[in-house]
Amino acid sequence: MSLCSGLAATLLALGASACILSTGLGLRTPRKHAALLPAMLALPHVAFALGCVLLLAPSGWLVRLLFALLRPWEEVMPWARDVPPPWQSTQDPWALGLVLVLVCKEIPFLLWGALAHMQRPDVAQAWQAQMRVASTLGYSAPSAWWRVVWPQLLPRMAGPLLAVWAYSLTVVDVAWIIGPGAPPTLTVLAWQWLQDADPAIRALGLVALVCLLCCTALVAGLAWMLYRIDLRLLAPVRWTRGPQCLTHAKGAKDGVFRATIGRCLLRTLPAGYALVAVALLWGSIAGVWLFPALWPQSWTLQAWQQVMGNAGVLGTTLFLGMASAAAALVLAVACLECLPTRSHTALFGASYVQLALPNLLWAIGLQRVCIALGWDASVWGLWLAHSASVWPYVLLSLQGPYAALDPRGAQLAASLGRSHGAYLWQVQWPLLRAALVGAFAVGFAVSVAQFLPTLFVGGGRFETVTTEAVALSAGGQRSLLAAFALLQWLLPACLFALALWLGRKRRFAQPPVARGLA
Amino acid sequence: MSISPDTPAALHLPAYKPDDTLMTRAFEAAPALHLQVQTLRRPGATLLQDLDIALPAGAVHTLMGASGSGKSSLLAAVCGTLAPAMHFEGAVHVLGRRVDHLPTRARRIALLYQDDLLFAHMTVRENLLFAIAAGPQAAREAQMTQALEEVELGGFAHADPASLSGGQRARVALARALLSQPQALMLDEPFAKLDAALRQRMRALVGCAVARRGITALVVTHDPADILDAQRVTHLAAP
Repeated sequence: MSLCSGLAATLLALGASACILSTGLGLRTPRKHAALLPAMLALPHVAFALGCVLLLAPSGWLVRLLFALLRPWEEVMPWARDVPPPWQSTQDPWALGLVLVLVCKEIPFLLWGALAHMQRPDVAQAWQAQMRVASTLGYSAPSAWWRVVWPQLLPRMAGPLLAVWAYSLTVVDVAWIIGPGAPPTLTVLAWQWLQDADPAIRALGLVALVCLLCCTALVAGLAWMLYRIDLRLLAPVRWTRGPQCLTHAKGAKDGVFRATIGRCLLRTLPAGYALVAVALLWGSIAGVWLFPALWPQSWTLQAWQQVMGNAGVLGTTLFLGMASAAAALVLAVACLECLPTRSHTALFGASYVQLALPNLLWAIGLQRVCIALGWDASVWGLWLAHSASVWPYVLLSLQGPYAALDPRGAQLAASLGRSHGAYLWQVQWPLLRAALVGAFAVGFAVSVAQFLPTLFVGGGRFETVTTEAVALSAGGQRSLLAAFALLQWLLPACLFALALWLGRKRRFAQPPVARGLA
Repeated sequence: MSISPDTPAALHLPAYKPDDTLMTRAFEAAPALHLQVQTLRRPGATLLQDLDIALPAGAVHTLMGASGSGKSSLLAAVCGTLAPAMHFEGAVHVLGRRVDHLPTRARRIALLYQDDLLFAHMTVRENLLFAIAAGPQAAREAQMTQALEEVELGGFAHADPASLSGGQRARVALARALLSQPQALMLDEPFAKLDAALRQRMRALVGCAVARRGITALVVTHDPADILDAQRVTHLAAP
């Protein structure tokens, strides 16, 4: 079941992302929708899963809404009465809830990975020109996209896809919250085994982790082989079928259906995220809320007072987020500046390998390193663990902007007699300001979402909003749980908003010609 | 009636005429720019071999040749921006000083590309000030204003480079290169993106600026119309 849910989530997320991109996102309809990506990326998986639980659970908001709609037919459907339905809409045995959460959360990540390539000026210009050529040859825009852009984009998305596949297969916290309970996914089982006092059972947990790692590598290798076979045998036939709209009456609709799905997703996905946010907000301030009432009987800010009173949790989360994002940003920029450009590909590859490691294995590795350094259960150990976990995301978010830099800029500055330091401070880093503050915000968001590294390296002595949210998910304090989950989103969202403001484009004075002074 | 600074009528520049008397005198003293190329290689091919170009102050030399013949690579070798995979053996002297072992910023050789490469986050003024050596701010501002006047863009100091036309941007790039007070100027197909009328004006502008400052320029081009001095042209053969 772990394999099936992981594969289903990866393939569905890939298909949905491709449909969204086929609408022209990043090429023809660039900025408006792409601007929503940071807000969606800022929402941690755990918070999204908890929001989905509040919406989809048998006593959740959507079920209440359904019951309210079905009330006129109560006689016909006697089960639509005053008790929650007996179905398992979360923690279902088929892992549908888990797949839904993973798909919704991984689509923005894959879009982010794709846009990192598509926003490079050289790539964007070349692909836009190729799309124009294809349209002059008789292809509709979506059809041209599937035949011209997608074959070039797909191999470049190998890294993000590997990360999504590995994450979907090995995720612990989300599977714990919304995944199947009896039996749980293999990663959750491994986590439970690793916490056992019996060394034999702990060893079983390690074996399960190694199995998961092998599965990740095997399936990724198999997918790559299938892709190569398809590229050799089938794809050339697909690409050279000719523009159907010239020869076939239905040909004009070639790719249009998928683009329509993409357009629907482009509108519904942000709406879904907004709904989850509203559910969390509602849940955090709702007092007594008997089923099947659509609105709570009373409101309370008790949960928020409790959250705000817990300054230690907030302080730890903020400190770890800021410190680890700063460290990761400095390290990533140092790597990109100091290493020769030809080694950047290897660097990005290495960061994807880190993302492809099972979460649990990564956390155990970090714990061992911190023990070796004598930093386990200390704030420095936690900082190191968070920085190491955050680093690949920060590095990858700088990949596109750094690749888009024109290397001749540095040569030109040198030919003007300026030092490399002057070029970096006055030209390159100000040009990359939006990307740098955006990368910092990504790092902060990733740090806030860390669960296993905090748990393992912190030795249970440090609490963050994420560890609190996951711990509360097993209990019945709905409002407190929702408040922590919402806070888990609000903190990165605030930083993303700040990053957007800091990275905004400079406003220049109107040129004299436009003012009529020339 | 407003006149766009890009219209040919807006730039009242004399046509560039090489001053042979001045050049001959200067050349007899020492060449302002002396390139001695033993070999210029890229992996798998030798691009140039045994090339010697000696230029007096104020001269504009044109390098022509097929794509891949090594024109731009030679310019990169002179400026010290050659890609690590390429190999240059030879010497570059500027005003008698050997510079090929120096880093780019110490060579005092300005570079002008086909793309203007104006820094997008800076105004025109800031782009120009970037090229002026540190000193009293008033003096720097004065130099900047004078340079803008020279390229007839006086009112554009606070403009966004993105709001300028191609010809205006090219002139700002030229002004920026000249503000660094170079001893030689390398131009890598600098007029390729401009239309015919603007090309003619830019050629005149470059020629006058070079002659006025007495610096040496090396122009790489595919267009025979870019030849400013018919006596000083080198045709490079394809490797």
